Amino acid sequence: MSASSLEVEGLRTEFVLRDRVLRVVDDVSFTVKPGRALAIVGESGSGKSVTMRSVMRLLPKTGRVAGGRARLGGTDLLGLSERQMRKVRGRDIGMVFQNAMEALNPTLTLERQLTEHLLWHGVCDRAEAKRRAIQTLGDVGIPEPEQRIRTYPFQLSGGMRQRAMIATAMVTQPSVLIADEPTTAVDVTVQRQLLDLLAQLKARGTGVIMITHDLGVARYFCDDAIVMYAGRVVERGPIRQLLERPAHPYTAGLFSSTLEVGARHRPLQPVPGAPPDLAHRPPGCAFHPRCGQAEQRCGQEEQPLLPWSEDGQREVACWKAVQHV
Amino acid sequence: MSFMTYLGKRVVRMVLSLIAVSAITFTLLQMAPGNFADIQRISAGAAQFGGAGTEDMVHAFASRYGDDIPAWRQYLIFMKGAATWDFGPSYKYPTQDVQDIIAQGFPISATIALIAVALSLMIAIPIGVYAAVRQNSAADHGTMFLITLGTALPNYLTGVILVLFFTLTLGVLPSSGWDGPQHMIMPVLALVLGPTAVLARYVRSSMLETLREEYVVAALAKGGPRATVITRHALGNSLIPIVTVLGPLLAALMTGTVFVEALFRIPGLGLYFAQAAASRDMPLLMGTALFFALILMTMNLIVDLVYGYLDPRIRAAGGVNRWRRSQKNPQQQPA
Repeated sequence: MSASSLEVEGLRTEFVLRDRVLRVVDDVSFTVKPGRALAIVGESGSGKSVTMRSVMRLLPKTGRVAGGRARLGGTDLLGLSERQMRKVRGRDIGMVFQNAMEALNPTLTLERQLTEHLLWHGVCDRAEAKRRAIQTLGDVGIPEPEQRIRTYPFQLSGGMRQRAMIATAMVTQPSVLIADEPTTAVDVTVQRQLLDLLAQLKARGTGVIMITHDLGVARYFCDDAIVMYAGRVVERGPIRQLLERPAHPYTAGLFSSTLEVGARHRPLQPVPGAPPDLAHRPPGCAFHPRCGQAEQRCGQEEQPLLPWSEDGQREVACWKAVQHV
Repeated sequence: MSFMTYLGKRVVRMVLSLIAVSAITFTLLQMAPGNFADIQRISAGAAQFGGAGTEDMVHAFASRYGDDIPAWRQYLIFMKGAATWDFGPSYKYPTQDVQDIIAQGFPISATIALIAVALSLMIAIPIGVYAAVRQNSAADHGTMFLITLGTALPNYLTGVILVLFFTLTLGVLPSSGWDGPQHMIMPVLALVLGPTAVLARYVRSSMLETLREEYVVAALAKGGPRATVITRHALGNSLIPIVTVLGPLLAALMTGTVFVEALFRIPGLGLYFAQAAASRDMPLLMGTALFFALILMTMNLIVDLVYGYLDPRIRAAGGVNRWRRSQKNPQQQPA
């Protein structure tokens, strides 16, 4: 399958604890079109990864999707049987993890890990699968792929491992690729190479979702972004506009807490405080206890995601920002 | 380092350890009060030796077995024999050499042990995996309760229950002796329960740990059927720690299980070992102790080799030469 959009609408995910239910993802919507890249930005604990695990239906036992839709090329993934969903995972949607050392099985060869899902999905036979795996390893820039395919993950350097991880997701040519902090665990030079690799993929029509807290990476690679805070989308829009003129104080805070080469004039200002414990979600805007611009109203009323620009591409969930339009 | 160098080093280390074990065992036995003659005199009465004065009898006995020469010379004489696998005749069974007793008893004990451990594994792995996959469910708690019960039940008690049921009630199995497969069934069953319980616990906890690994999620994210991911991705890796337990377990069972062998009257090694200790039968005691050490070390060596087979990281670091290529790669990280 190729060239299908992933459309997520009103996704709600809950974790059922012993005595209560925590809403970890609350009314999250986004669309990834073929050949476009979406950044999901936020601090750890904001619900980025859980959102993607909900779409993949790989939540831990205590988690459940409580509402919403996740359509891929017209089919709602959340309504599929487990058997049908299995055919989507790894074939239509590929996943790249943060740390290849942990996400690749240490005792299986690359060949096994690059070909097994081709065989599970019945894409081709073993010989053809191996051929494709070697081809993909070469594509991601691993030298001597014919020899390297016989090695184990620990025999590769960190950068090579991450490439192999991406190759694992690419080998089935999925229409959507979910990359969960794919460059966080590698050094900067490798980071750039990996991003260029993902960019090639994007150019070939794959829709990419990149979960990240690194705005530099997001700006370099992504077209659109959603910013998540405490399980909700607080701002959305094209990434360049979002970074040039952030509308939500949280987005602005994330931006000014990021170090960037060549931006010496900009003082580093971390967002004060820590993200809220979802069991004790502050009333009103969840960000207001940490927000420098909070008014009385912010602590009382919840604010929905409202259009912020005239073309309707940008939306923000902040009373103060909307007042400024 | 090639495989043969590795193996060579291990064997040299084994020999040195055996010498140490023999010296320690010998010293401890020398320091312990009493000797074979004393114990014979007390338990059988002096009449057995012609009713003469007991002191004379002990001396006669000592000179007959060489106990009257200094201990260090006794040790050297023993070790000279041991080097050529000749431990001399047993005190208690003067017509038999110790190495012959071992040669007779060991195959019997080892057969029972191997069958019992193989059976334990076949039961423990599915149970452990099942309990881990259904962690904290009623099924998990239920199996683990039974397993705890299994650990608490000593094998001689299980043996008695088996005899009551199969021999006395059903009358289908012989209660004692060693002559054909029907004699193996009950001893094996009696031995299976304990190791099964221990192994199932290990499999469960190891599996739980592995199931939390990210590569398991990654395999599911590639569309792997749950059962396949569990067996191919999780099980293999969670069995690596199990191998560690298996070595000493096998060694302990192979060198004989005193209670079960006594209960079913099986002429295994355990029975001889126990009798040797009780009667201070020096050659038999030294011989079996050394043999036990040898088996334990061999098992540990096998465990390490199996490790290498199961885990390529250990293979590369430990130096089995098929992975020389990876050693040359400067980027390779040690396991």
